[in-house]
Amino acid sequence: MTRTEASVLANAPDMRRLLDSELSRRSRFGYVALLLASSAMTVVVTSLWLTEPALPLRTQIALLIMSVIGLSWLSLSVWALTTRRVLLGRDGVLAGWMAVTFTATFVLGAALVGLSTGRPGAYAASLLGVGLLAVAVVVLMRARRRMASLMSRRDALKRELGTRE
Amino acid sequence: MTRKSEANLDDRADSCEPLGDNRDLPFEAITVDPLGQDQTSSLRHKEDELLVVRCQLGERSAFEELTERWHLPLWKYVRRVAGNDDAASDAMQDVWLRVLRGIVRLRDGSKLRPWLFGIARNVLMDRLRQRYASPPPADIDLSDIGGDTIPDPLEEDMTALEDELARLPETEREVLTLFYLQGLSLSEVADVLRVPVGTVKSRLFRARHMLRRGLDQKGLRT
Repeated sequence: MTRTEASVLANAPDMRRLLDSELSRRSRFGYVALLLASSAMTVVVTSLWLTEPALPLRTQIALLIMSVIGLSWLSLSVWALTTRRVLLGRDGVLAGWMAVTFTATFVLGAALVGLSTGRPGAYAASLLGVGLLAVAVVVLMRARRRMASLMSRRDALKRELGTRE
Repeated sequence: MTRKSEANLDDRADSCEPLGDNRDLPFEAITVDPLGQDQTSSLRHKEDELLVVRCQLGERSAFEELTERWHLPLWKYVRRVAGNDDAASDAMQDVWLRVLRGIVRLRDGSKLRPWLFGIARNVLMDRLRQRYASPPPADIDLSDIGGDTIPDPLEEDMTALEDELARLPETEREVLTLFYLQGLSLSEVADVLRVPVGTVKSRLFRARHMLRRGLDQKGLRT
């Protein structure tokens, strides 16, 4: 090994920093939280905008802008979770459970508000929330399937390589 | 290329053996591929796949193993194509970023090697495009490329070989590096370069002749 190659290997601390930063769970789950919060915000604001009768034009414009802002955050978190901070293995399952729990609570909360106040916006929010819940359930199921398939493949490969060694 | 030489190339290259009859070249000293047997190759692919699956499951130790195992081979490839240490180290950051972010989408883990070198190549190509788009940098000092000065005759031959390799056009340097120095199979090299296997063979043939001619001119071929 030449001195240059030895110095390349000596740069391992840089690699460790890169791994720490890229594999940070805090960052991943930060984006999951952003995704959930932004989807709830978008649903609530959009429901109000669509269902509240006789809103002044300024309020309608404000609600529209807030919906666009919510959608922007939603898009950002989806982009980050699919390209920059992809959820690996168990993290995907955990994020799926978080999404199901959060959206189920949201739907229940919105339905209760609708029942107690009779406001159409709350019903609309709970209806849109059901859509989010369905997406969350699909995401969770896919993550569980993927996790099970990867674990099964890992165990099979380990067995195979173990018998050869 | 004659049919005879093509056939000769096919036979030897398919089994990852050193090509041609130039066993006396110093280059041959580093062309011995210990992974020529099918069984070893299959084992290697399974080990690669296991590493990929563990990474996709999010095992930190697998990522550490991946970087420890592949940092130096990738760096050597990038260094040879990029031409100097600084450019190589700079490009390696990008390479690892893309690897860490993209490994979850790698469907067939047994293709880890061509996938890694393919990413390294994409990073280099992107940088090359940027370089052509910007004003030309100062010329590379070829005297720096040889690396360390070691008085061992074999090391001197290796240094001369590295010098000669660095003088080859990028296409030929790249194919020689991947096939001989990184031990990739013909099909893996074809995956990395995104060209048919036949093109890899013809490039290897041309590259070997260019390298041999260069070494002959220096009087290094014994």
